[in-house]
Amino acid sequence: MCFLVQLVKNEEQFQQKLADTVLQEKNVNVRLARSLPLPMENDESRPRIDLVVFIIHLTSELSFQSAETSLKYLDPGYFQGKVCFLVTNARNVSVPPERLVSVRKLAASLHCPLLCTEDQTTEGVTTAAHRLLAILKVAAGLVPMATGLYSDIDQQKFE
Amino acid sequence: MIRRIYLTSKLNDAVIDYFSLSRFQLHHGKARCSKSTSCCCFFSVMEERSSIVKTPLNNVLTQRRSKSYRRSMRSCVEATNLGYTSGHLTALRIPRSRRTPKSRDITKQVDPDQVALLVTKEWELSYVTPLYQFRHTQLKSYSKHLSAFIVSEKQQGLAIEVGQELGFKVNFSVVLGLAETDEDAETVFIQILSKHAFAAKDDAQKVVWSGWLTCVNGDLEYLRSLPSEFVSLPLLCTRGPESLTVLVKSWFEKTFDCCFGPLGINSTNLQWLAALWIGCHPTINIQYLKLVWTLPTLPPMDVKYTIHPQDAWELWDSVRQDDTTDVSIEEVTRFIKGLQSHFFRHFRIELSAGSLMQVSTALGSSHHSGKIKIASPTYITTILQLLTECALLKMPI
Repeated sequence: MCFLVQLVKNEEQFQQKLADTVLQEKNVNVRLARSLPLPMENDESRPRIDLVVFIIHLTSELSFQSAETSLKYLDPGYFQGKVCFLVTNARNVSVPPERLVSVRKLAASLHCPLLCTEDQTTEGVTTAAHRLLAILKVAAGLVPMATGLYSDIDQQKFE
Repeated sequence: MIRRIYLTSKLNDAVIDYFSLSRFQLHHGKARCSKSTSCCCFFSVMEERSSIVKTPLNNVLTQRRSKSYRRSMRSCVEATNLGYTSGHLTALRIPRSRRTPKSRDITKQVDPDQVALLVTKEWELSYVTPLYQFRHTQLKSYSKHLSAFIVSEKQQGLAIEVGQELGFKVNFSVVLGLAETDEDAETVFIQILSKHAFAAKDDAQKVVWSGWLTCVNGDLEYLRSLPSEFVSLPLLCTRGPESLTVLVKSWFEKTFDCCFGPLGINSTNLQWLAALWIGCHPTINIQYLKLVWTLPTLPPMDVKYTIHPQDAWELWDSVRQDDTTDVSIEEVTRFIKGLQSHFFRHFRIELSAGSLMQVSTALGSSHHSGKIKIASPTYITTILQLLTECALLKMPI
């Protein structure tokens, strides 16, 4: 199983903590990246990628923009259940509400799940890792009777 | 597309994939299916329900009252995703464009002395929920009650300064003319006067605390939806010692059953204010445009970015495509992005990775934590309208 994490610079602590927590589960490989496309050198040795997670920190505009530009480099086949958005600081007072609305619209238009997480405490990171593992298991095909195509069941319809 | 999924998933999932794809086709009409199935079996894992349902081929149109009502309902649902609670039926919208402000001599509408009380001072902002049975006619009795309340609360404190408490006097007054529409309540200005601790007996009392409650051009649907006993003055501006602010707020909470909360100005509204002040440059020289960002480095870095007003005005003018009466959020974002990319070109620091903390010009300054200073009375109504809107959006009701 493999799982790619995606981020903007200066916010690596959360990415690192999340990766460490996820790695405690057996048979999971985590690769971290700052932006797509991935470098060509390792293309042969890279295992199959089951889930691509975009981490967006809502306090910075740059995070959202770099996630948007990286989306263009992703093969369209991934958008059927192998992409997930992870958002931090959604409850923060300083975050303008329009940013969360635009992230939700983006996730809804791509039919991908959106998770809100809390990155400052260890419980928050552990919860986020557990939820990601649940989605990862579905995306990798290990849960019978469920596929990643069901991931947009609870998303609101944005017309 | 279908074939690729079929081959890459495992065998026990293959059948489910085909069903889920056909569900996809009937709901969204996007995936192309070589065989069209007329009936659809729902294998809904999460809801544990299996029923044969004939799903509609098109979206079913629901009855709507009016387009704006629906849009506003959708915006409040977008904002919460928690379904409807009784409070959220008062639909509030986040505006995407605003009218260009026209410079207006406010002293024609408002007494110049009272205007002088409001400008050139830094105010701290809070939001207020609607006040129950607040009467503009009973301001004198409110003054007496509040001064008695402050004196009694102060005497309970540990450090008693005898000379100061007994000299508390409270003034409630109305600032007529700031309200824009018929639904806005008139602004109420509160002053607390007292003598200095070591003042002589004949010395006049000085203002130690002042504050004002206002509502300028509040959302009409919301104001009309309030029951008749409630008066909405959602914006509170205070200046003075924190102890007195807390006392005034607790008196209001006890008397009028309202709640107070801190009001911050988020980065979008700071950008609106920057655009507003830049737009005024031809008529009033703003002397400088200063923006302060905080970047999340270790240790956190503050960037103070001061721009010559003429350069800023030229950039703003080039972003403003046509002389329409509306300024849209895209133009504001483009203006700020232009400033940020210029900074990046020179210093290789990406300002959008941080957050905008403060915007100031000669016309006024506003800080992210909720402090505002209005230096000139010309555009006061536009600024107050923006802040009233912030307060109404922040309020939990």
